Amino acid sequence: MNKIYLIIGFVIMVAAQWFVPGQMIVEQESVLKDGTAYKFKTMPIDPSDPLRGKYINLNFEMQRAFTKDSMIDYGNDLYVYLKNDADGFAKATIASREKLDLKQDYIKVEANYYYEDSISFSVPFNTFYMEESKAYPAETLVRQANRDSILNNCYGLVYVKDDRAVLDNVMIDDEPIKDYVAKHIKENTQL
Amino acid sequence: MNSKIERELDELVTAKVITPIVEQDIRQYYAREKVAQPNKLFAIFGVLGSLLTGLGVILILAHNWDDFSRATKTIWAFAPLVVGQLLVAYTLFKKKSNAWKETAAVFLFFAIGSSIALVSQIYNIPGEMSSFLLTWIILAAPLVYLLKSHAAALLHILFATIYACNAGYFYDASPYLYLLMLGWLAPYYWMQLKSRTSDNITGIFNWFLPLSMLISLGAFIQWDNSFVFLTYIFLFGLFYNLGKLPVFENQKLRTNGYLILGSLGTVITLFITSFRFVWDEFINEFLSINDSVTTVVIGVVTLAVIAFLFSKKRLRPFNLFQYVFILFIGICVFKTEGSFVPTVLINILILALGVFTVEMGARKNLFSVLNYGLLIITGLITCRFFDTDISFVLRGLLFVAIGAGFFGANYFMYKKASRKSVSEVSVNQKMKNDE
Repeated sequence: MNKIYLIIGFVIMVAAQWFVPGQMIVEQESVLKDGTAYKFKTMPIDPSDPLRGKYINLNFEMQRAFTKDSMIDYGNDLYVYLKNDADGFAKATIASREKLDLKQDYIKVEANYYYEDSISFSVPFNTFYMEESKAYPAETLVRQANRDSILNNCYGLVYVKDDRAVLDNVMIDDEPIKDYVAKHIKENTQL
Repeated sequence: MNSKIERELDELVTAKVITPIVEQDIRQYYAREKVAQPNKLFAIFGVLGSLLTGLGVILILAHNWDDFSRATKTIWAFAPLVVGQLLVAYTLFKKKSNAWKETAAVFLFFAIGSSIALVSQIYNIPGEMSSFLLTWIILAAPLVYLLKSHAAALLHILFATIYACNAGYFYDASPYLYLLMLGWLAPYYWMQLKSRTSDNITGIFNWFLPLSMLISLGAFIQWDNSFVFLTYIFLFGLFYNLGKLPVFENQKLRTNGYLILGSLGTVITLFITSFRFVWDEFINEFLSINDSVTTVVIGVVTLAVIAFLFSKKRLRPFNLFQYVFILFIGICVFKTEGSFVPTVLINILILALGVFTVEMGARKNLFSVLNYGLLIITGLITCRFFDTDISFVLRGLLFVAIGAGFFGANYFMYKKASRKSVSEVSVNQKMKNDE
């Protein structure tokens, strides 16, 4: 192969290999820096990805939104508008297939089923990666605390800006879940 | 030089079949060839080393080091990528050996995956495995041509197959991009076939590609409402006919993955469809539109290959295996009348294939082909024992008959081969005496 083509090809390949992860970082950082923070009440469960590591899958309480549009099909893209409730957690106000002229933040979700003036949906930011030894204890600790009614304060801290939403952290009693889990693992080993 | 050849040479000199001078010439020839050959072992170990290191890096990063800040983790995400790219640059611009190229390509391939995986992990970016694999494959695709790396090409096929399976089997979406991925490799494979037809690596590609297509075909079809067997027999027909192309047929049989997979696949599919309950329960009369298109496309390509073979006058002598997929459509037409007629016709077709293969083996003096034909007939009889009410005595007699057939046919071939070698020896002797 001609050397000049080789150099051009190599430079394009390297640029693309930097551009893709780089662009992912820039987009996420922009939301974290300029977006509005919302607290989404949630429950974690613990699966594993062979390449990206252990993560907790978040089962959000907010799963339905009001709409009169009965023509929404399963899998349609939806805009769900947000506001904070009296306790400071995110609450869905209205869902629509098109963007509405509202001065509220919104998240882009995938529609599930329509039932009696409301649509259920799946939020996209339901994956939170954790250190491999903490993902499973995170799930069991939260489930146990929830069963014992100690816990009413597990939420995902999500930054929202335009079409993008970035899950920054999962908090338990306003403490990052990794610290909460580390503290409990330490307590259990000391017993 | 191979130690076996060395021993043989000593024996030949002792028996005075060759002179010591000829022996020296032969030794020098092999010594020269060895120097000319690149150190393949070094390349293989380099690739294995890179493969393990690359996978190791992915696993280490997947641990998720939560004591590090987001910025530190981001730097780590790019570290393997930078190392891989520098390695590739050094290999390319210093014109290093093939072993370097293969090692660098494999390392960078996995570094790309680890970098995207870690960024997804740091920012909790959700996303299906198929889209993650797709990004990875696209970013690594230029390695095949920039480095002319066989390992990168094989990894490309492997990951394209994993992508197709992930998208097609788990998410029920036809992974058409898989075809583009194979298309990307087409020029590389073509160059390989043209310039290095008999290399071992070309043989490996000749197996990897049809195996990948075979595994991925299922991702394109809708299993619950389709005539799956028709689509598969078309694919096997395509493989068999591709295996008959001069570029493959003139090579050793073991490097012709198309022919072997096509033949075995055809026979196994016919065995399955030789059971009546398969026609009653699993074979629908109609194909879904998606599956019809897939099947028709495979059929058209196969017919094009047959037309090409015809133009090159390579359809003689007649080979039944090449046309099984057409006969299968004909048999399917009878499905409207019930399952009995197609079942009987499939059984006759298998028997015909068995007899044809035995005859071909006898004609070409090939024990392997002859026994393959006998195995097809044995398989047919064994299958029929599971779904018919033939008495034990008759089954026993049939098995004895087919066993005797094995002995008889092999003995006949052995005699024929012996007679041929004796007559060749006497002709040589006569020529020597005449001289």
